[in-house]
Amino acid sequence: MKTPKVLIVEDDEWLAEQHLRVLSLAGYEATIALHAIAAIQLIDDIHPDVIILDVLLTGNTAFALLHELQSYGDTGKIPIIICSNLASELSIDNLKPYGVKRILDKTTMEPDDVVAAVRNVLL
Amino acid sequence: MGLAPGEHEQFYNGPLNDGLPSIVAAAHELKSPLALVRQLSLMLETGDLPLADQKRMLRQISLTSERALRLTSDLTRSVRLSDALFKLEPINPQQLCEDIVRELAPLFTAHNRDVKLVSRKHHLLLVANRDLLRRIIMNFSDNALHYTENDSAVEIKIVSLKSGNIIRLCVRDYGPALPIDTLKSLQGKLANCAPTPVHARPQSSGLGLYISSQFADAMNGRIGVTQHRDGATFYIDLQASQQLSLL
Repeated sequence: MKTPKVLIVEDDEWLAEQHLRVLSLAGYEATIALHAIAAIQLIDDIHPDVIILDVLLTGNTAFALLHELQSYGDTGKIPIIICSNLASELSIDNLKPYGVKRILDKTTMEPDDVVAAVRNVLL
Repeated sequence: MGLAPGEHEQFYNGPLNDGLPSIVAAAHELKSPLALVRQLSLMLETGDLPLADQKRMLRQISLTSERALRLTSDLTRSVRLSDALFKLEPINPQQLCEDIVRELAPLFTAHNRDVKLVSRKHHLLLVANRDLLRRIIMNFSDNALHYTENDSAVEIKIVSLKSGNIIRLCVRDYGPALPIDTLKSLQGKLANCAPTPVHARPQSSGLGLYISSQFADAMNGRIGVTQHRDGATFYIDLQASQQLSLL
């Protein structure tokens, strides 16, 4: 069975590394993009099965990236997991049209929550 | 219409009317390092990581905590600015920046980045408060660390302007360029000496820059930002000391 690919879009390098560590231990093939421009390039290159996305990124915000992804048929179908400090200010209902399936709160989540969320959206 | 004393403005609207930076902005700035420290600690608690990973994570916890503590210390200092008289004295910026580079080197190395001082042949003197100027440059450098690309260097540079009357200390990062609207917003906010709104600078409330502008004001200085194709330069302009010309 193909190993699912996860793209982590997170500008805090050490937090991205932490997500990668947890996902790799759980058997996923994870890749990091530190900003939205790198993410767009990597999405074209690796065709991730799921994207973990921080909201406030260096350069452009996640919302610019979400708009970009929705502009194309193939990328618009990639499930998105938002992982943010601003989770309490976001509504999953408002973000569903952008492919967002889950919202994780960085301030309260457990390390394994990211694995559970990925597993859940890939079901 | 003004706010009643002690009444807090909204996060996006800047400082409290009593001059204190927004508590919400401070909370936002501290969320990221605390969330990271928490994630790393929880991971370490599992105890089944290779020793090298454990050491690396512990180092990251220490360095992240130090950055967060610098912010809390700056906040305390900025709140007390109006109560205190700051000693302005002739300072050799080269020496000060060398100390800062030495202090920040471990943090930058841990991020696979470098910080370096562009050296000058002729030393300059400026008039400033040593502690406040140090905090400003540390703040710019912290900011640059976040924005600069992997394996590249942040450059600190000292420039003489206006026939030597103004000394500019610059911190240059090499990363994704700031979007034009962000740059304009930043320049406007810096000019007005108010915190940038949370969405004007991605992932930051601009609190650090706001505090820096307060520190600069206390020394009759001015901070600003210049956009480049491949990054940005944050700078502070200060009066040159005339002491050398008297020699």
